Amino acid sequence: MQLNFAAREVAIKLVYYGPGLSGKTTNLRALHQLVTEDCKGRLMTLETKDDRTLFFDMLPLVFHGLASATAEDARSTGLSLRVKVFTVPGQVIHASTRKLVLQGADGVAFIADSRRSETQSNAASFLDLKANLEDLGRAIGDMPVVIQFNKRDLPDVRPEAEVLALAQRGKEPVYQAVATSGAGVAETFVGLLHLTYSRLDREHQLSGKLAITPPELLELVSQRLGGASGQTLLGACLGGFRA
Amino acid sequence: MSTHTPEELVHDARLGLEDLLDRESLVELCESAHALFGIPVRVFAANGALLAAVAPVHEVCAYIDTVAAGQAACGAVVDGVKTAQPAVDVVHPCFTGQAYRITPLVYEGRSIGKIVVGPYLPLGAGRASAPILQQYEEPRLVEALARVPRASDATIRNLGKHLTTTLGLIVFSGHKALLTSSMHLATVTAGYKELEEKNRQIEGAFNRLKELDRLKSNFLATVSHELKTPLTSIIGYSEMLMEGLAGPLTSEQLDFSATIHDKGMQLLDLITGLLDMSKLESGTMTLRRRMMEIQPILHDVYTTVLPQAKKKGVELVLDATRESCELNADPERLRQVFINLVDNALKFTPTGGTVTIESRVMEDPADDDQAGLALLAPTESQVRVWIRDTGIGIPRYEHAKIFDAFYQVDSSTRRGYGGTGLGLSIVRRLVLAHGGTITVDKNEPEGTVFVVTVPSASHPMTQTSLPPPPVGTG
Ligand SMILES: Nc1nc2c(ncn2[C@@H]2O[C@H](COP(=O)(O)OP(=O)(O)O)[C@@H](O)[C@H]2O)c(=O)[nH]1
Ligand SMILES: Nc1ncnc2c1ncn2[C@@H]1O[C@H](COP(=O)(O)OP(=O)(O)O)[C@@H](O)[C@H]1O
Ligand SMILES: [Mg+2]
Ligand SMILES: [Mg+2]
Repeated sequence: MQLNFAAREVAIKLVYYGPGLSGKTTNLRALHQLVTEDCKGRLMTLETKDDRTLFFDMLPLVFHGLASATAEDARSTGLSLRVKVFTVPGQVIHASTRKLVLQGADGVAFIADSRRSETQSNAASFLDLKANLEDLGRAIGDMPVVIQFNKRDLPDVRPEAEVLALAQRGKEPVYQAVATSGAGVAETFVGLLHLTYSRLDREHQLSGKLAITPPELLELVSQRLGGASGQTLLGACLGGFRA
Repeated sequence: MSTHTPEELVHDARLGLEDLLDRESLVELCESAHALFGIPVRVFAANGALLAAVAPVHEVCAYIDTVAAGQAACGAVVDGVKTAQPAVDVVHPCFTGQAYRITPLVYEGRSIGKIVVGPYLPLGAGRASAPILQQYEEPRLVEALARVPRASDATIRNLGKHLTTTLGLIVFSGHKALLTSSMHLATVTAGYKELEEKNRQIEGAFNRLKELDRLKSNFLATVSHELKTPLTSIIGYSEMLMEGLAGPLTSEQLDFSATIHDKGMQLLDLITGLLDMSKLESGTMTLRRRMMEIQPILHDVYTTVLPQAKKKGVELVLDATRESCELNADPERLRQVFINLVDNALKFTPTGGTVTIESRVMEDPADDDQAGLALLAPTESQVRVWIRDTGIGIPRYEHAKIFDAFYQVDSSTRRGYGGTGLGLSIVRRLVLAHGGTITVDKNEPEGTVFVVTVPSASHPMTQTSLPPPPVGTG
């Protein structure tokens, strides 16, 4: 996180992690579609021609003028939240790029492919995430992480009941998605942003300094993501809010 | 170009126009815009530096410059244009009636500079009446002003918009190119370092293997040949004596031969155990892993030990799971593990007792608190095997020690059980080498239970399990 108090600006870095072809780039595309025009920059994708992410994708989002309803003058006290969303390349050969992109991340969305056949590569990629964080001197347990089970539209996916059972036992908030149709994309993003911002808020006492609380911020950002209320988006989460 | 490190670039680096643009292309862009209407075009960076300009001086401006007061007034206008940092398009007027249009350049929500178009004469602008103009000859001034390119507000706005869009695209491409090239460089550098490191490791491993190979072929070969060969003869000949191949024996002679045979067998066990230990210790014990299930192993152990159990009058029960759980393991070594455990169980269970071999597939990972459980749990099934007996039991305070090499529970009731005390220490190392665990507990109401857990083929413990840990006596 970078906090520029004078400019009332907070910059956050979020990383979409996961095995190759699980739908990370597709999530970013869908997110880019969802966000209102004034909040987004161009989506930068660095892909090879067979869909493979070469280095990463990057989507810059800027939410200007986020002000608590109780603040006197929205313009003068509004906060600018800058969010850069990165994806990592899934292929084994790009291990060093993954680590580079991961460094300085404030939160991670793990995009898993729900098909049973991908169980193993999901787990391997998660362990890779854990190892890379450790190399960077950070523990996965201390990182805000949400998990998305993507590609729910395909046959032979782990049934919802099973996903739910797993989610309820695990620590991380779990979301289901069909990134190609945009379903679950806003939920995952908002869930991660909320988890991440709440953590930063606790660590740096942002509420006091910036006169806006995480729940207020959640609602203001959600408004610019297609209108559903922040609480509704968070409500799509399956279990996993164990501290 | 940019002085940002790759680490900064994958954050929210404050990028300037100057980082992202090629100056010469920028001049070309200004030239093409200037060619359209003859109106000067300038591009400034966020810090006010002029990055490109195609701005021939209008005749009227040159004329204004000839009078000191006019020159000063012109300077003030130009300063105003230079320092302006508007958030949206603005028109900046000149006292001559001309005007500049200033369009901010924004990238990723931040100002990165501005485009200035002008001076031009706004269509429909009235005649300027600034007092300063009275110091100039009227006809000459009017004539020069008439030659200034005229443009409607809409035209200028469109020109500004076209330029910002074009520049926006160039900046985006520049950013992308900057990221791609610096990431490429960083990846290649990191890849090179990794390769170097791997090479070093491989070289180290190779040297170690060479050394081990030497040790193995020296020490192990010596032990196995020099000790085992004569021992096999001793055992073989004592057997032949007992079978009467050298003529009939007296009962005392038969007794002596039997003792020679038994002690020889014991020694052979000890040597075989020591050989295993030394292989484990030197790291030359390699697991011949293949995809397998546990049931055939347990069944084989059961049938192997059954005659021994019958002879002793101990009931042997096999209760293997029907559920499938694929292991990536060395079947020969796992067989050794369970033979050892069942053999112990029989040895320490008196006639009339029961020894049970039970196996189950466990879906639950050990630790519900681990990160990523929703992703990891489905891969973490494991096979658990219980070897229970109703024998003499092991006092709790001995539980930690029995896995040590050569350790035997020392109590008068146990004398006469024989053995070397190596079995469990080898068993434990073999289980660990498979990424598994072994524990011992009291069986209810009496006896002992050993619990062996072996991770499934997809379990991360199998993926990451190391060569067998070296043996100490501790
Ligand atoms: N059926 C289906 N296909 C998907 C979904 N999400 C992504 N895909 C497809 O999976 C492939 C890989 O997606 P991509 O976003 O490039 O994966 P990345 O490597 O994680 O960036 C593409 O062909 C996508 O169209 C989904 O929810 N359902
Ligand atoms: N099932 C069992 N019941 C009672 N004691 C046991 C059992 N298994 C092992 N032990 C104790 O642990 C010791 C070490 O076992 P092990 O390493 O197999 O050596 P050994 O069988 O050669 O004595 C045994 O000597 C015995 O005291
Ligand atoms: Mg991709
Ligand atoms: Mg034994």
